[in-house]
Amino acid sequence: MSDAPAVLVRLPDGSTFEGPVVDLRGADADISPAAIRDAIRTGCPTRPDRPTVHAPLPTRVHRHVCHLAPGITVDRHAALAAVGAARGVDTPHCTDLGGVKQSLRKLSVPTVDSADLRAARRRAAAAGSATERLRERVATLRGRVEARRDDGTESRDDGVAEAEAALSEATRELSEASTERVAAAQRLAALEERARQARDTRENRLRLEDRAENLRRARRATRADAVEPAFHDARSRVESALNGRSGALDGGVTATATLCDALAIAAIAPLCAPVIVDPEVATALGGPDATATRLNAPLVIGCGDTVVR
Amino acid sequence: MLLVVTYSRRARETLRNVCRSHEETVVRRFGRAALLRETEYGAFLACRLRERHAGDVQLERTEPFNEFADAPDAVREAAVDYAHRDSPHTPYGRFAAGTDHPDADDMRGSEL
Repeated sequence: MSDAPAVLVRLPDGSTFEGPVVDLRGADADISPAAIRDAIRTGCPTRPDRPTVHAPLPTRVHRHVCHLAPGITVDRHAALAAVGAARGVDTPHCTDLGGVKQSLRKLSVPTVDSADLRAARRRAAAAGSATERLRERVATLRGRVEARRDDGTESRDDGVAEAEAALSEATRELSEASTERVAAAQRLAALEERARQARDTRENRLRLEDRAENLRRARRATRADAVEPAFHDARSRVESALNGRSGALDGGVTATATLCDALAIAAIAPLCAPVIVDPEVATALGGPDATATRLNAPLVIGCGDTVVR
Repeated sequence: MLLVVTYSRRARETLRNVCRSHEETVVRRFGRAALLRETEYGAFLACRLRERHAGDVQLERTEPFNEFADAPDAVREAAVDYAHRDSPHTPYGRFAAGTDHPDADDMRGSEL
C-alpha cells in the first residue's frame, strides 16, 4: 500500500470512495476527469450534482500533472519551477524579490484626478476657440465701423452708432473670454505639472515591477535547475518501469516523452491533493497501488479519456 | 507627431498591441513609448489609450525643432562652436569660460 494520505470522493449519486487510491472504474456514474479535477481544485462544498473530493487543496505543481494520461502536455520548465517552490528550494532571488515587493508596497503614486484633468483640458479648449471666434468678430465689426465712417454722409450716422455699439459689445465679450482663457490655461498648467510629478513615481513603480518580474523569472529558473537532477533520476525510473511496453500502453496508446516527463514530475513533487491517472497508465506502471507508491501521491483512477489540464 | 509614453505594465502592453496592429499609424516605437502619425486615426488611438489607462499614459504633440526659430542665436552658436572644439575632452564649462558663450546654469534656468 502507498503511504500517500487517504482522500474521500463522493459522487453525485451518493456513493463514496476512500483511500490513497480511489478507483472509479467500478463506479456506475459517468464522471468526467474535468469534473473530478474541478472538485479537487474547488474543495468542499460543491453543488449536489457534482462530485466532491475531501483532500488538501492542490499546490501549483498540481495543475501541471493533475491528469496523467497519454495525451498530456506539460510545460516542463514551469512545472519543475513549481516543484522547486513546493519543495521549498530557497534562491538568492527570494530575498531580493521580497525587498522589491516591499518597495512597491511603500510606493504611493500621487493621485491626479484624471476627470479633473479632462475637465481642465476641455475648458481650456473651449476658452481658446471662444477667444478666436470673438477676435474674428471684433475685427469684422471694426472694419464695418470704419467703412460706415468713411461713408461720411449725415444719413449714415445711425448706422455708424449701431456698428460702434456692436463693436463695443463684442470687445467686452472678447475681454471676458481672454480672461477666461488665461484662467483655464493656468488651471490646466497646474494640473499637468502635478501629473508630470506623479509620472516620476509611476516610472519608478514600473521599473520596480519589471525588476520583480525579472527576479521571479530568475527564481523560477533557479528552482527548476535545483530539481533537475531529481527529475532526471525519476524519469529514468519511470522509463525503466515502462520498459518492455515501450511506445504502446494498453489499448494501443503511446507512452510519449511528455507523459514520461509528467510522471517524473509527479514522482518528485510533494503532492497531497489527488492526481487523476488514466487506467492504462496505472496498469503500465504496475497497477494502481504501485503507481501510488511510485508517485507518492493519492490517486483517482479511471473515468473517461479526455485529457484535462 | 503624437508622442505616447506609458507608465504601467498594462498600458505598455496595450501600446505594444496597438503598435503591432496599426503599423501604418506608428512612426516609431521605443520600448514603452511611440510616435504616432498626426492623423485623425493617430488621435483616435491616442484617445483610446488615454481612455483606458488614464494617468498611466502621457500624450504630447511634437513638432519639428527649428534651431533658427526656436533657440536664441547665442545658444545655437555656442552649440555649434562646442561641437567643433579642438579638444574633445574639454567640458562645456571650461570651453565657455572667458568667451561670449552662455553659461550652462544660465541656460538651464531659462525657458525657451
